[in-house]
Amino acid sequence: MAHEDYKEMLPARALSALDAADEHALNQHLSECAECRRELADWENTAASLALGVPPAEPSPQVRDRIMNAVRSEKQKQPQQESTQSRVVEFPQSRRERWTAFGRVGAVAAAVLFLVLILWIVVLWQQNRALHRETDLLMGRMRSLEEESYRANELASILSSPGARFRSLSGTGPGTGATAQLAYDGSGRALLMANALPPTPAGKEYQLWFIVGNNPPIPGQTFSSDEIGRGELRDEVPDRALDSAVFAITLEPAGGSKAPTSAIYLRSGL
Amino acid sequence: MYPSYLPGCTDKPLLRSEQPHDQDVDLLKAVAARDEAALGQVYDRYRLILFGVLMRILNNREEAEDVLQEVFMQVWRRAADFDENRGRPFTWLVTLARSRGIDRLRALASRERVVTMAGADEASEDVSDAASDAIRSEQRGVVNSALSQLPEEQKRPLMLAYFDGLTQSEIALQLGAPLGTVKTRMRSGMMKLRELLSARGQYFQ
Repeated sequence: MAHEDYKEMLPARALSALDAADEHALNQHLSECAECRRELADWENTAASLALGVPPAEPSPQVRDRIMNAVRSEKQKQPQQESTQSRVVEFPQSRRERWTAFGRVGAVAAAVLFLVLILWIVVLWQQNRALHRETDLLMGRMRSLEEESYRANELASILSSPGARFRSLSGTGPGTGATAQLAYDGSGRALLMANALPPTPAGKEYQLWFIVGNNPPIPGQTFSSDEIGRGELRDEVPDRALDSAVFAITLEPAGGSKAPTSAIYLRSGL
Repeated sequence: MYPSYLPGCTDKPLLRSEQPHDQDVDLLKAVAARDEAALGQVYDRYRLILFGVLMRILNNREEAEDVLQEVFMQVWRRAADFDENRGRPFTWLVTLARSRGIDRLRALASRERVVTMAGADEASEDVSDAASDAIRSEQRGVVNSALSQLPEEQKRPLMLAYFDGLTQSEIALQLGAPLGTVKTRMRSGMMKLRELLSARGQYFQ
């Protein structure tokens, strides 16, 4: 449709008399044509003058009171500064009111929400810490179970090997009350598990000795006891000690000695 | 023929017509700034014309008063939308009332409510020409005179559209005339009306 065609529709548009399709097409054109918008405003003045063709009528006085009361109560609901710059096309003020009301309620709600979030974060943090502690504990238990399991497997492996032996060591002297078991197989692979040993002093370690006959003790590996006196050691039993030897444990300088320097803490019988 | 103080009929028509126009613009600006007293003044100046239009559309006093209240609540809320560069307060207010009236008419029709003619006579009661009223009876005279000069076949479509809210197709159906004819007559009627009014400088504030 041409500009002139749209111009011809303007008087009917001012009377709101266009059919939907024409109305839609003209609206499109109006959004792009300032001249037609100006001319439409002119036609709207003409259309509005039709209102002067009807007799004036007096509404009942209560209408004015109702309006003024409604306005006053609406005014109390919204702050003054919110009302001056309304530019929204359809019912802008009421939308603004909704948002204003929402703004006030929303600010309180946001503050409450913020507090709840903070509390929630604190609770989560505490839960997280507790979970971490529990996890650490469980990991520790798991590690010790793994160690025990590994040790049990190792022990079972040693004891199921050909020529397996199992010897008990008893506490003596400063090691009275302590006990230890030594398992070893025909190849010499040995596992020592000690209990109730005195705590290992700084710079010291327990050392295993193999004593065969009247020969000087053969030095073995060193180990430390933990806080409850447990100690564990893997070692190789020398060939000549495999069949008949006394196993003994002394407290030596860290790293071990070539010959025992302290009293015997634990020893086996022959 | 017309009193000398009518716009367009004096030596200084612009001065005469601009005064009430400016006054209404200021009032609407005050309403936009939440001045309820200003709204009261707009009501006092326009209640007769607007209620007359609503009575003409709705023919029911109760409905017309209800819509009149709606209209002024809308004026209160939307006064900031009024742009003096785009139109006159008179046109803005009348268009608002007419539009609300037609909306109510359609809502009532959709409820199949029988429109009583009870209000028709009341509308023609003698209403005082208060000094505060925006419209003088003389101005009404000018419009009625212009309308009386329109051929009935041109005037009828304008009235059906403006006061009954009918579209061109609906008018064609009601008058039993081809749509093209209705469009032409409507356009001719509006052009003639504009011509008659502008010849008298009668562009109401």
